[in-house]
Parts: sequence; structure tokens; C-alpha cells
Amino acid sequence: MSVRSGKLHRFAPWLFISPWLLGLLGLFAYPFVASLIWSFTEYDLLTAPRYVGTDNYQRVADEILRGEGFGKALWNTFYYAAVSVPLSTILAILLAVMLNWKVRGQAVFRTLFYLPSMVPMVASSILWLWLLDPRDGMVNGVLAMFYDVPPLWFQGMQEAFSLESPFQFGSKDGLTLMSLWGVGNFMLIYLAAIGDVDQSLYQAADLEGAGIWQKFRHITLPMLSPIIFFNIILGIIQSVQAFTQIYIVSEGTGQPAESSLLISLQLFLSAFRDLEMGYASAIAWVLFVILALATWGLFRTSRNWVHYRGVRM
Amino acid sequence: MPRRIPTILFLLFALAIAVWGTTISLTSETPEDREEVVFWHFWSGPDGAIVDDVVRRFNESQSNYFVRAVSMPGNNFDMKLFLAITGGDPPDLINQDDPIVADWAFRGALYSMEEIAPSEEVERLREWLLPSARSLGEYDGKLYAVCNGLDIRALYFNQDLVESALQSPAPKSLESYHQLDQIARACTKYTDGELTQIGYLPDPRRLWAWGPAFGGDFYDEATSEITTDDPRILNALEWMVSYRRELGANNVATYRQNDQSLPNKMFPLLAERYAIILDGQWRVRDIEAAQQQSRERGQQPTRYGVWPLPHDPQQNGKAGWVNGNVFLVPRHAENASGAWEFIKFWTGMDGHQSQAATTCMAGGWIPVSQQVSESPEFQQYLQDHPLFARFVEFSQTEQVPTPIIPAAARYYREVNNLVQRAMYSDEPMDLNAELVSIDKAMQDHLDRITSRPSFDEESKRHD
Repeated sequence: MSVRSGKLHRFAPWLFISPWLLGLLGLFAYPFVASLIWSFTEYDLLTAPRYVGTDNYQRVADEILRGEGFGKALWNTFYYAAVSVPLSTILAILLAVMLNWKVRGQAVFRTLFYLPSMVPMVASSILWLWLLDPRDGMVNGVLAMFYDVPPLWFQGMQEAFSLESPFQFGSKDGLTLMSLWGVGNFMLIYLAAIGDVDQSLYQAADLEGAGIWQKFRHITLPMLSPIIFFNIILGIIQSVQAFTQIYIVSEGTGQPAESSLLISLQLFLSAFRDLEMGYASAIAWVLFVILALATWGLFRTSRNWVHYRGVRM
Repeated sequence: MPRRIPTILFLLFALAIAVWGTTISLTSETPEDREEVVFWHFWSGPDGAIVDDVVRRFNESQSNYFVRAVSMPGNNFDMKLFLAITGGDPPDLINQDDPIVADWAFRGALYSMEEIAPSEEVERLREWLLPSARSLGEYDGKLYAVCNGLDIRALYFNQDLVESALQSPAPKSLESYHQLDQIARACTKYTDGELTQIGYLPDPRRLWAWGPAFGGDFYDEATSEITTDDPRILNALEWMVSYRRELGANNVATYRQNDQSLPNKMFPLLAERYAIILDGQWRVRDIEAAQQQSRERGQQPTRYGVWPLPHDPQQNGKAGWVNGNVFLVPRHAENASGAWEFIKFWTGMDGHQSQAATTCMAGGWIPVSQQVSESPEFQQYLQDHPLFARFVEFSQTEQVPTPIIPAAARYYREVNNLVQRAMYSDEPMDLNAELVSIDKAMQDHLDRITSRPSFDEESKRHD
């Protein structure tokens, strides 16, 4: 091998991965580092950033304590994630189990339940705005049978899963319902995972006389646990990053009265409406830390409930 | 060979697309003897076609400049602009309708008109513009934005409903907000205990209109102070909240859903959801279309009227709240002088009166200049559209904008959030304390922004 071809061999892999590497450095590493630097500055996007120390983080902490601004957005995001992630996980598993039943028209049912995930977010948001119209919406048309005062959905500040206004659905509950409608992606992953469960486990259970529930509880769920774990982490990240639907249903303001102001929208408004990129960067970093902690916590608990081929991790 | 057929087909397809793309770029190229003026706007659909027509007429009238309009509908307009500015390649002219003029001017993102045009022409433009149009663009003594279309809000009313409820002819204008309350109450209907029609329901976003109508100010220019704690603003808010007390928070929230965005026949006034509604001049088109449809069906069309906001000038009450679309010239725009020529053409200055009138008639837009309104063709248009004529009349009264200060966008949001909380919830609130709290928070925020020298001050220091 000549010296020249030896050099080429050494550089060839770098050459091949360079498109990806450039993308990683330019579109991920640079913004990552830049946002950390900006979070210690006052930066309006138009003039040079000015170092302000930890002012932005102090403001974030202050707002969390007072429950205003970022504090409010943090609570809204927590509520949305805490309600939508478990509900979408349960719904997706149930749908996947049912769609795995060998019935006539199985493929049609699978397609029907997956279709909503294909609808563009903007279109589905507008659709839900109509469906959940407090006065003329179809959903309230049905709920009128159970409620004296039908829920306000996107026009309400109530929280159905709170002690203050139980079962009074407000804007965040409307967003949760929307997220459940688009559960098809998770469902598809569960469906594939269920198909992958070793059939001999079910046969052994049959021999032992196990019923449907026991098989689901002791075979299907444990075998799905790595996927559930993965989807929960993904679901939390997605609910924190949810933006388009919130922007549309709240006309870009988090209305009514900031009840649908989630962190992603708060970040956008701070950066591009109020020209406070430094503060927005601090929000992004606090969010990053919160997400990292949540993920770490989930990993810690996963030892108790996630099974990899029968082995608890 | 057969294996290669898909590859060949793919390459041919790619070639065709490439050639097509080249053709597009060639056909939209600026003539060689003209300077290109890049104009970003957010209009699309029918309004986009009107803008394209204005651009076409301007380009036909010109031998020096050629405007290339780029439509950017959607929500990322600002983000794209900031990227273009920081990237050093901003457009020459943009259109905006958010209260951002002072914010962007303070930070040096905009040229003032004084920087891009002869001072004599700028002075003439100031004179040319209606006071309400001028007020939207002035900051720190300079003209940073030029209004190209005013948005005026007034009280539309269903004349048939109002007269049937009052059992007498509808008044030509309202003496006071008490009179509005009386009419609203008379027009509010319950069927089997359920609210089926609302006389009038204040929009939570319009404390900005009712505050000044009650004589209040949101900002004191003389002292550079936020004045949300003005007692007259509190009066206006208390009055708005009185509707919630009467109708119930749930009814208020239910009726407010989608109110302003509903198009055409779904417009709550046409759907008889409300008897009176505060909205802008663009609704005239919806009303006229509905009336025309009734005539075509051989039915008597419903009659509608417009009242200005009741206000008492003796009590410092202003006629209303104005906003609108403005032209801005981003700093470092390559062809600011071409942008200036286009601004003059659009606003009708320097002999373009008739062109401006044509634009306003096509879009149902309110002229920004009295002279354009007075042009013979526009006067004829006003005779044919009496409801619209009322708005043109109102545009010449004292209409005040959202304060032209840095952080106005946030101020706007904070006030609207408070009114929504007050209107959509039955929980008791200390409105005065809430207004004082916004006042303090916004003053602190404004002080923090302005503690840093503005772009202008920095420039002077460097000079």
C-alpha cells in the first residue's frame, strides 16, 4: 500500500460522514453551545448580546416561585404531559391489543385508527376547534346529556384533572384530546411489538389455564415494557415540544388568559415577539435540565418494571 | 438495458423539473435597466391578488425601480426577517400589522423615513397622512413606519333586531355606554332559560378601544410612564366585566369562541348570535354579500348600521382604537430609495391619488389620506357603500393606537390576558390591584429595555 493510498484510507471515513458531521456541528452543536452562551446575555437578535450574568435564570426562578410567566407555562406543560402521556400510552396499548385480534376487516380497522396520525397538524387543529366549540361543537352536543353547563374546552381556563374544577374541561384538556386522536404512531409501534412477542409464552400460559387478562397482565405487558418505556420518554419530549396545535388553537397567545401557554409557545413568544433571546435561551436550558432529570428518573424506575426478554434491567 | 429504463426516466423527470424551475426564475427576473425592490408581505388569497395588482401598476408607472413582491403568509414572518437582517440580506420593504414599530426601531432594525428620503418629502408625507395613520408610525420624533391601510373598529348593529327590540327607530349614534347597555339588554334573548342571542358582549381584546373611549390612557408620553392604573381604564374594565356579571362567565366564554375569525355567513352578527358587535371595516364586505344574496332570493335584506364608540370628548374620551398595516424599511436594505417610491405610490402622494383610490376600492381598505378619500372615484365608491363610508368618516376622528413603545407587543398581551381572566371566570378579582400589577411589571420591563442606549443613541455616540 502506498503512502498516498494509506492517507486516503485514513481520511475516507471522515469524508463519507462529513455531510452528517457538518449538519451535526452546524445545526446541533453550534445552536446548543450558542444558546447556553446567550442564556447569560441580554440578546434581542438585532444587536450584539450583552452579558448579564445569571439575570435570566434568576428571572426564570422568580417566575416559577410567583407562578407567572415561565412558572405558569411550566405548570401548563406539566399538566398537559402528566395527563396526555399516560392516557395516550393506555389508549395506544389498548388499541394495539384490539387491532391484533384476528377479526374480519382487521386491516381496515388498523388503517382507520392510524389515519388521524397522517392528518396535518394544522388541519386537525382547525377540525378540533370546530368539534370542541362550546356552543355548536359536536362533542358538547353529546356531553350536553351529562352536563348542565357544557365544558368550554379551548375557551376555558379550567383543568378537568384538578380538585378545583373536576371534569370541567378547559383548553389544556382540549389539547390532550387532540393528542389522543393522533395516538396512531404509538399504536403502530405497540402493534409491531405485540406481533413480536414469542407465541410459545402464550401457549405455555394456555397450558397453565391462564385467562385473557392474566396473559395480558403477565405476558403482553412485560414484553411490551421496553416499548412502553421508550414511548413514555418520547411522549414526554413530544408534549414538551408541542407547538403547532397550541399556536393555532390559542391564536398564538396561549389564550384564554395563558391557560394554554405551554413552554414551547412561551419560548417562541419571548424570542421572536418580545425579542428576548437571552431569556428564551435560559428557558430552553432550564427545560433541558428538567427533561434530563425526568428521563433520568424514568431510567431509575425502569429497573423495576422494564423487562428485556424476561430479564429485568 | 431494460434495467436502466427507470433510471433514465428518473433523470429525464429531474431534468424537466430543473428546466421548469429555471423558467420560473427567468420569468420573474427584474428588467436589466431597473433597480429591484424586494417587498415582503403576508397577504395571500384575494388580498394577495390586490397587492400583486398594485405592484403591477407601480412597475408599469416606473422606469427606475421594479418591485418584486414576495408573499409570506403564515406565522414565521418575523423569524424570517430577523434571519435575513442578521444574515445581512434583508428585503427592501416589508408590511407588518403587529405593534412592533418602536421595539424594532429602538433596536436599530429599521430605517426611519428621515434616513432614506429627502426631509421635505418626509414632511409632506406626514402632512399627507391622517393623524390616526401618522400615529401608527411615529416613534421618538421620527417616522419609522408608514401606514398603508387603517383598521378602524366600530359597533355594527342589526338594525332590524335593534328596532324590533326598542320598538322605535335605531339611534344614529350612541350618547353613552349606558345607552349601549340598555339596547344590548333589550336585544338579549333567552329561550327556555337558555341564552340564544346576545345584545352586545365586549371582546376581551378591546379594552384597548374602550379604555381610551372612557377617557383613559395606557401610556403617558410626556413622562414615559405606563399608565394602566389610570382610573378611567379601570372604569372601562369594570364596565366590560359588568357584562360577565349579567350574563355569567360560562355564557361569555361560550359566545366568544371563534368570534372574530368566523368568516362570511358565520360572522356572529349575520348569524344573529349578536345584535351588536365591535369589529372592523372588512366586515362590510360580508354584510353586503349577505344582503345581496337575500335580494337574489327575492327576500328583503336585513338592515345593518354602524355606530362609533360612545365617548365624551369633554371627559377626554377618544373616538376609538386604531391599528393597521404599515410599511417598514429594514436597516441595511439595499434599495431603500426604491422602497420609498413605492410607499409614495401606495399612499397616493405626489400625484398617485387615483392609484391609491383604486387600491382602496379593490380591497375595501380605508385610505390613509384625506385627499385620497376625497378623490372623485372614491367618493363615488363611498356613495355605493354607505356602511364603509361610516368607517372612512371615523378614520378622521381621534383614534389612538396601542402605545408606540418598546415592549408594546407584550403589553398588549398582558392586558388582554387580564381581561380574559376577568371575563371568563366568575371568581372575584380585584381589578384595580391587577391593573396596578401590570402597570408595575410593564414599567419595570420597559425601564430595563430602555436602560440600554437605543440604536440611535449608540450611533450618535460613535459619530
